[in-house]
Amino acid sequence: MTVPAELSRLADIRALVREVAIEGGAPPVCLDDLVQAVDEAATNIVVHGYGYQGGPIDVDARVEDERVVIELRDRAPTFDPTEVPEPDLSIPPLQRRPGGMGLHLIRLATDSMTYRPRAGGGNILTLTRSLDPRPKEER
Amino acid sequence: MALQTTVDHVEARVPVTVVGLNGELDASTYEHLIEDVRGLYAGGTRKLVLDLSGLTYMASSGLIALHSIVQVMHGEEPPDIEGGWSAFHALGNAVESGGQEDVLLAGEQPGVTRVLQRTGLDQLFSSYPDRASAIAAA
Repeated sequence: MTVPAELSRLADIRALVREVAIEGGAPPVCLDDLVQAVDEAATNIVVHGYGYQGGPIDVDARVEDERVVIELRDRAPTFDPTEVPEPDLSIPPLQRRPGGMGLHLIRLATDSMTYRPRAGGGNILTLTRSLDPRPKEER
Repeated sequence: MALQTTVDHVEARVPVTVVGLNGELDASTYEHLIEDVRGLYAGGTRKLVLDLSGLTYMASSGLIALHSIVQVMHGEEPPDIEGGWSAFHALGNAVESGGQEDVLLAGEQPGVTRVLQRTGLDQLFSSYPDRASAIAAA
């Protein structure tokens, strides 16, 4: 699926991933994790990647080997989100910079997040999450 | 599904405003929610219950909304959000972590609870199983 990088289209991306995950037998926590991960990643593309200027986002989701694989491709300036450090959660919430939680949530919601630059310019982010019914913290 | 909100004013031990959130709170909707609460505060609301029982998804931008709502309810103006998330900076410490009782949460679904816990924002809120118990505690 290719959607324009607009905040109003995030719901469509979540719906696609939800549909694929349900068909693949994803249990509730797994489903929540996948929706969160793809939404945060797509939001980052809209907001930071394209800087609200728009552009295409290609989204593929499939189930293979007992896991859901999501691939997001864009034509935004090259940026590797796997290089971003974890936020300092020891800082009290109201004194913390409230942005920057998206990548933290992606890391907790997925089993892997891998990045590679896209040929011809842009980024490819691949997220995987096993069909395990438990959240990552309990595995 | 877009976010829909309902607003109810309840006379409890103190006047309580209950904002019910239905649908998904994401980057396309969180600013509207902050605006709604800013309007309520301007109209005199000083005790707020957020009924999250109909909220099926909360993005990290929803956390920004909750964070900003607490500030609004303390009479602080959150940073300008028109410029996007980069406009946010370290915020004042008028409210100590875990100490605020002006904004209460009610009825959140497990996925929303997980997001709050995973980011530590659960420390900021007292949370009740449903709207009635949150109002009773307000």
